[in-house]
Parts: sequence; C-alpha cells; structure tokens
Amino acid sequence: MTTHTPLPAAADDDVRPDATEQGQDGGTRRSSSRWLYVVLGVGLLAMALPFVWMVLSSVKPEAEVRSIPPTWLPETYTLENYRELFDRLRFPTYFLNSAIVAVVVTAGNLVFGSMLGYALAKLDFRGKRVVFALVLGTLMVPGMVTFVPLFVLVSNMGLTNTFPGLILPYLVGPLGVFLMRQYFLGLPDELIQAARVDGAGELRIFWSVMLPLTGPALATLGILTFLSSWNNFLWPLVVAQTEDMYTLPVALALYSVGQNATQYGLLLAGAVVVVVPVIVLFLAVQRYFVQGIAMTGIK
Amino acid sequence: MSRRPIITATALAAATALALSACGRDDDAGSGDGNAAPSADLTDGPATGTIEVWAMGTEGELLGDFLADFEDANPDVTVEVTPVPWEGAHDRIATAIAAGETPDVSLIGTTWMGEFAATGGLEATPTDVFAEDDFFPGPWASTVVDGTSYGVPWYVETRALFYRTDLADAAGLEPPASWDDLKAFAQGLQQAGAQQGIYLQPGQGGSWQTFMPFAWQNGATLTDGDAYTLDSPEMTEALEYYMSYFSEGLSQDTVLQPGALEQLFADGSIGAFVSGPWHIGLVRDAGAADAFDVVPLPGKDEAPGTSFVGGGNLAVFTDSDNKDGAWKLIEYLTESAVQQSWYETATGLPSRPDAWEDGPLTEDPLVAVFGEQLEQTEAPPAVPTWEQVATVIDGNVEAAVRGTIPAADAVADMQSQASSIGTGLQ
Amino acid sequence: MTTATTAPASRPTPAGGSPGGRRRTLLQRRQTRTAWLLALPFLLLFAAFTAGPVFASLLMSFTDMRSTDVRTPFAVDLAAFDNYMALFQDALFRKVAVNTAIFVLVGVPLTMVLALAAAVGLNNITRLRAFFRLGYYLPVVTSIVAVSVVWRFLLQPDTGPVNQLLGAVGIGGPDWLGDPALALPSLIVMAAWRNLGTLMVIFLAGLQTVPRELLEAAEVDGAGRWQRFRHVTLPLLRPTLLFGAVITGIGYLQFFEEPFVMTNGGPLNATRSVSFYIYDQFSFGNYGYAAAASYVLFLAIVVLTAIQFRVLRPKA
Repeated sequence: MTTHTPLPAAADDDVRPDATEQGQDGGTRRSSSRWLYVVLGVGLLAMALPFVWMVLSSVKPEAEVRSIPPTWLPETYTLENYRELFDRLRFPTYFLNSAIVAVVVTAGNLVFGSMLGYALAKLDFRGKRVVFALVLGTLMVPGMVTFVPLFVLVSNMGLTNTFPGLILPYLVGPLGVFLMRQYFLGLPDELIQAARVDGAGELRIFWSVMLPLTGPALATLGILTFLSSWNNFLWPLVVAQTEDMYTLPVALALYSVGQNATQYGLLLAGAVVVVVPVIVLFLAVQRYFVQGIAMTGIK
Repeated sequence: MSRRPIITATALAAATALALSACGRDDDAGSGDGNAAPSADLTDGPATGTIEVWAMGTEGELLGDFLADFEDANPDVTVEVTPVPWEGAHDRIATAIAAGETPDVSLIGTTWMGEFAATGGLEATPTDVFAEDDFFPGPWASTVVDGTSYGVPWYVETRALFYRTDLADAAGLEPPASWDDLKAFAQGLQQAGAQQGIYLQPGQGGSWQTFMPFAWQNGATLTDGDAYTLDSPEMTEALEYYMSYFSEGLSQDTVLQPGALEQLFADGSIGAFVSGPWHIGLVRDAGAADAFDVVPLPGKDEAPGTSFVGGGNLAVFTDSDNKDGAWKLIEYLTESAVQQSWYETATGLPSRPDAWEDGPLTEDPLVAVFGEQLEQTEAPPAVPTWEQVATVIDGNVEAAVRGTIPAADAVADMQSQASSIGTGLQ
Repeated sequence: MTTATTAPASRPTPAGGSPGGRRRTLLQRRQTRTAWLLALPFLLLFAAFTAGPVFASLLMSFTDMRSTDVRTPFAVDLAAFDNYMALFQDALFRKVAVNTAIFVLVGVPLTMVLALAAAVGLNNITRLRAFFRLGYYLPVVTSIVAVSVVWRFLLQPDTGPVNQLLGAVGIGGPDWLGDPALALPSLIVMAAWRNLGTLMVIFLAGLQTVPRELLEAAEVDGAGRWQRFRHVTLPLLRPTLLFGAVITGIGYLQFFEEPFVMTNGGPLNATRSVSFYIYDQFSFGNYGYAAAASYVLFLAIVVLTAIQFRVLRPKA
C-alpha cells in the first residue's frame, strides 16, 4: 500500500534532535540544550526524592523509619522488612493473581478501547454522539456511588471470589476509549481514504492501517491501565473472599496496617515490591511514548 | 418531610439488574429492628461442619493455627480462617451483609456494632451460653444494640496515661490522682524539660477517644438510650478543662504526624500522653527504654478515672449456615484459659476479668495497669450513627482547642448536629 | 495542513466519504455496521456492569436509605429531593464545594502547564531520555505513604527544608499544613507534583502527532521557537490537551487522597473536599445522602467537561 502522507518520512526518535542541532543556529541550540538539562535535572530531583526515600527506608529498622526528622541513608541497614514480608505472605499466589487480573484488564482496555475509540473518531454512524456521551458519562460518575450496587450485582451473578468477578467490571474502561478516540482524531483521514481506494475493508483498515500507528497511545494507555489495576485495593478486597484469591495490594495491607498502629517498614517494603513490575513495564514501553508515527506500518 | 413507601421505586429497581433476591423485608427473625429473642437452641454435642471465620490483620494470621486444639476437641469440624486487612474491613463486611454473602463468624470492631446489628445481619447472642457478668462491663456494653446483645467481646484495649519517669522524678511528682494533679503534673513535666507537658489530641480523626474520657470522668453522657445528650454542663466543663491545656501552653494544637508521638516521647519532648497498650512496644522501640511508666487515668476528684474501651467482638451472621458451630467456636475463644493463651499468641487483651487474675496477664506490670483501667471504662454508644457523631465531636474539639469558638458553643453545636443526625435506631 | 484536528465527533460528513451519492450510502452503511461491531464489547460490559449500579445508585439518592437497610433495600422511604436540599443547607458541604472549586481552578491549569513543559522538555533532549522519563513518572508510582512522609517533612514549620530555604533568604516560613489559609494551596502544589507524570506521558504521546515537516517549514519561514510552539504545536495538540484537561478536571473534582493522608481534611476543614465529604457520608452509612452528593459532584463534572470541550474545541 502506498500513501502520500503529510508525515515525515523518517521520524526516528534517535536522530531527530541531532538533526535539529545541525540547523543554522546550532551553537545557541547546544547552549540552550545545556540549560534544558539543568532545569530538567532540578525538576528530576524534586520528582524522585520521595521515591528514593521509600526505597532507602525499606531497608531501615522500624524505629529508624519512624524517626523525625527522617533519615536519608539508612543508619542501620537491614533486610528484615523484606524477610518478614516474604515469610508471612504467600507471595507467588498473590503475585500471580495480581498479574492475571492486571494483564487481562490491560489487554481488554487496549483492544476494546482502541476499537470503540477508532469508531468514535473515524467512522460515521448514527448513534455516535449517544455512545460517546455514554463513554464520557461513565468516566464522570464517581466510583464510590456505584460500589455497593456493583458488588451486590456481581455477587448475584455468582462471580464473587472468581477471576471474572475481579476482571469483568474493569475490562473496558471509558478512559481507554476516550484516550484512543482523541489519539485517532490526531491521525490524518487521508490514510483511511487511500486504504478504501485500495479496496480494504473497514475492519481491516482499523486493524492493519490505523491501529499500528497508535504505538504512543497504546503504550500510554497500557501503563495507565496496568498501574491502576495493579494497585486496585477496595474491589479485590470485597470480591476476593478467600486468601487464595487475594491480590498483592490486599495481601500487603494484611499485616502492615493494624487496628491502632501501622508498621511503616513493612508497608514501605511492600510498596517497593509492588512498584518493581510497574517500573519494569514502564522502562519496557517508554520508548513507544515517543515513537514517531511514520516509522510504523506505512510503507 | 413527606415520606411514603416507594412502591414505584421498588418496581423500577426490580426491573433493573439490581434485584436482590437475597434480600427481603422479613426473611429472618433477627432482621430489621433488633430486639430479637436470644436464640437458645445450641445443641449439646461438639461443633460440626465447616465454620468460616473472618479475622483482621494479625488476629487473622494467627487464629488458624491457634484453633488446632478446638479442631482436636471437635473432630467433625473444619474452621476456615480468612485474614482480612483492617484497612477496608468495614466496607468488606458491609458489602458482604448487603449481598448476603457473609462468613459464619467475623471479628467486628466495637464501634461498628450499632451499624451492623441494625442491618439485621447479626444474630442475637444466646445469653444462656454467654453471661454478661463474665465480661468487663464496657466491652459487653459495646455489643448491646437497642437492648439486645449481638456479639461477644473477644479482646479489648483501653487507654491509660504514659509519662516520663525521669521528668517526673526531676519535678518531684507522683502520678496524678485528680484533674488538679494532672494539670500540675503536666506543668511539672514541662518545667523539667518537656516541650509539651502532655500531648492531648487537638481535634481531628479519633480525638474523641482522648477527649471523651474527661467528659465521662465529669459525669457527662453521650446518650440516654434513645437520644444523644451531648449538651450538658458536665460536657462543657470537661471541654473547658481540656482546652485549658492548650491555652496554658501545656499542649500544642498541631496534629502530630504518624510515628511522631513515640519519637517525641522517647526524646523527652513530650512529657506524657494518653494511649493504649500497643504504645508500650512502640515507645520502647523508639528508645524510651525504662524511662517511662503507665498509670490508670486520674478521675476528676481522687476517684479512678474513666477511660475509653475499644477492641474486637466476635459476631455470628444471620446468613450463616452453621450458627451452632459458630457460637461454639466463640464459646471456646472466650474461655478464660483460652483467652490467656491467645494473649500469649497475639497479645490481644482478654475481655474477661477472671483471665487477668492469674497467669501471663499478671507478669508484665505495664500490661496489668491496663487490666486495672479496664474496671473503669465506657464504650461509645452502640448505635448506627455513632461514627458520624464522633466526627462532629472531633470537629468541635478542634475548633474549641484552636480558640475559634467557646466551649459552650462547641458543645451546643455538637448537640444540634447530633440531634439532627439521630441515633439511627428508630 | 492535515485534517488531523478537524474531525470531531459531531462532524456531519463521513471522514472519508467520496462525493458519489450511492457509493456514499453504501460506505455509510458499511461504516455503521463496523462501528457498532467495534462498540459491542464496551456496550455489552456497560449494560452488564455499569448501567444497573448507576441506575440503582441514582434511585438511592432519592431515598433515605442507610447502610442499615442493605438487607432490605426496598423497605426505605422515598425522600424526593430532600437529600439534595439538605446538602445545600449543610454549611460543611458548601465549604467543601468551595475548597474543591479552588482546587480545580488552580490545580488543573497548574498541572497542565507543568506537564506540558516537562513533556516538551523531555521531547527535546537526546541523552538519558529513558532515565528522565522514568524520573518524572516516579511520583505516580510512589507509595502514597512515602509521599506523605517526605512531603510532611519538607513542609515542617521549624525544621523543614522549605522553610529553611526561605529562612536563608530572610523569609520566616509559615506552618504550611497547619495554617487554614495555606493548607489547601500546599496540597494543590503537591497534587500537581503527583499527577504531572501521568499527563506528561500523555502529552509526550500527543507530541508525536505533530509532523516535523510543519515545524521545519515554520522554521524556514523564520518562526522562532516560541512561535512554532504557539502556532504549530499547540493547535495540533488540541485533542490531547482536551483529553488531558478533561481527565485532570475529573480527577481533581474528586481529589481525595492528598487531604486524606496529609491533613485528614483539616485544619478546620480547610482541605476537606467534596469527595472526602462523600467518602465520610458513605462510611457513616448515609447511602441515600451520599449518593445525592455524588450526583451533585457528577453534575459539576459534566459542566466542567462541557466547558472544556467548548474551550478546547478543534478549530478549522
């Protein structure tokens, strides 16, 4: 398929800024880029500080975690929090439960969200405004208000303590539909027209022509959905009725937060354990955030 | 307010998927308005069948193994304990009751009793099996909703006075025995080097637990059984006394961040505070070593001071299929000897006075102080709206302590809000 | 110029329709069929899991239902608009509504500007990009407990680094979280800090739809850096900006976690939000009343979103 798109022929992420630096005013560029690093570096410090404290404090004894003012580097280094965590919790079970839920929910949101998002952005059909209003409306209803009725519903469907009960209510979220719609809006219609001229079917245009262009949006949606599913606490808490169905956040809350006192060392060690897969995922997909659209799919 | 039964709404809602077959207006004697007759039909033999139990946090973690003896004594029984995090436990029980999908037995925080009992989701306690006189009065009162008991106290906690012995010695002070003593005590600790003579919670979440003991010591009450009775001269006077610690600079109106209290107490910046038994360990961990002691709260005039009592009750759900086994399990867990060994397992303080008379509870003098304090406690009223009224008290205590309203106005506002909220019982 | 930003949902003509009448209806039929097929999973799950609970909770807002009625949900009394009237008569609700409005009006623009600046900055560097991206995203994934401990320490009146810094230049720093006038602004800054990373990632993705050729053409025409950003990048970024503004608006109208962990709504309710209020009412068991408050919040979200759609509407 050949199309004349208004897109750059090669928007390779890695060459782009070098190319601009070769412009006429390369000297100013370079010095302004230095300033950019300084500004971004200061910002980075402010952004990362609590995270750094979280990691460092997870290897401090409880009394030091609580000390005021807080210490930065551990005065006493200990793996006790982690040892306690892994001794007391059946980690593989919880990890697997969380992973199953988060992966399926993320996949559902990516696939179903981009399907409806594409229809809302690029197809002309009766009822489009109603469907879009439904999507936005769902996005706007405060979650707390539907919580109890939703649980009663899921319970009557016999889905408590099952994976479908944990997954289905989150399988396609309005946020994903909305995000994909907005992204598709930014892609040129000419691609669709050209594909139609070539005789491609509508589903095929969506799947083979347009979807491959949405790398940055899919990566973004993927990380957002995974993170919120991975950290979800209250829904798995009420739906998972026995310990073998608990997800990681539910299990981590078991022994760190008491009726009257909280064990901060345990809590922070748990937070570090939970965050690792999220960071791995982020690092794995982050290059797609800035994937030039032209380098995908268009030949 | 115009009110009529919502027949139309019923039809509409039934038409939707909301449909709650499990629910019904009168599917059970215990449902609805309480006052159910105590069910006294426990069988004589050992417990049988499966008993599902929800217990929170550490209790849930340790209870399963702890019940090995019970399972040995009742060979046909299987107890399945599910640990539930404290965080969110209230929501989990509330939604389980709503959907009719409860376990047989659950640990229930004492302040939730009014709400859950009023749903009709809890069974009335068989009072022929559990005698009120066997338990501390405050904890037992926390199970009684509108005249009927819906559970049995399992473990308890109460608040006593922690203070720095080194500062008290330096000031030449004995532990306080009256309000006047307590004020002088705080002044003395402060002169001996503390920045705050005594830390009293300056309003916000849960500060009623620190304030109400003063009101109780002064004879104030929260309800008369039917309605809130917050607006009394005794309440106002107690609030004025509480406020005086702040206006005289003995306490500060900054809410401490979590963990700060132990730290500031351990380094001597705070001379004294009021809290529960869990603080013994926290204070030691923070480095206070043996430089502190715990004594019961002083009363207003030389009499023992009333304190707040909380903890956990065990309740059986009306949707349970094995109520017989469930009550037998609770009977076992509230035996005196079992309570003692539970204390050794999970540090939960026994709800029965006789469990304190010998054995492990007598060994740690600091713990024994809490046993002494337990004789003189009040539980908040077990009514469905208590948690809401508690935040009204918290808010007014904060405003009063910060000097934005006088005590009398704060108390009057507490009452007017509490009156419009109502007890929620009828 | 591409048509990238000129295809809003309400656009009357089909995106790729050719002018021929017959062919056009055929195409339209095909598009309609495809569209509904693509919408099916969402609609099915919506019907199964969203419609019922929304309807039930809306109904609930017109009754006096309490948590004690959960086993007999139909044995409650109709309260008509009593809950809604009571809400507006509650001085605390009015206060939390004002707090929330301030939070949104200041917080949304602040977060948007910071996130856009970060996205543009990160889009223009060559070295250590993955490192910087992750760094700016860290607040999103950091445990709220760690966040609250560190922020409380930073804002501590006597020993906190913020006030020590201010002290170094001769300014006596205030009690940021303890002063009723400053607690809310402090939390706004904190919320911007926490949410910037999410928006930055979204904006980074959006920036990729800006064709470099356009920027280069503008540069050839002599447009400066700011002019290119203002006249090329920003207009093309509008769908993404709209998305960012809408989800930030929705999130901030429901702000809850920051006051929950930092100030518990205090001092003197200065940081209590509408969501916090609703959360409390649900915990108290006032289901009908809390549902009414939720739907008032819902209406506010609808209004805000409608305004945002209007302001950030694509321009031809």
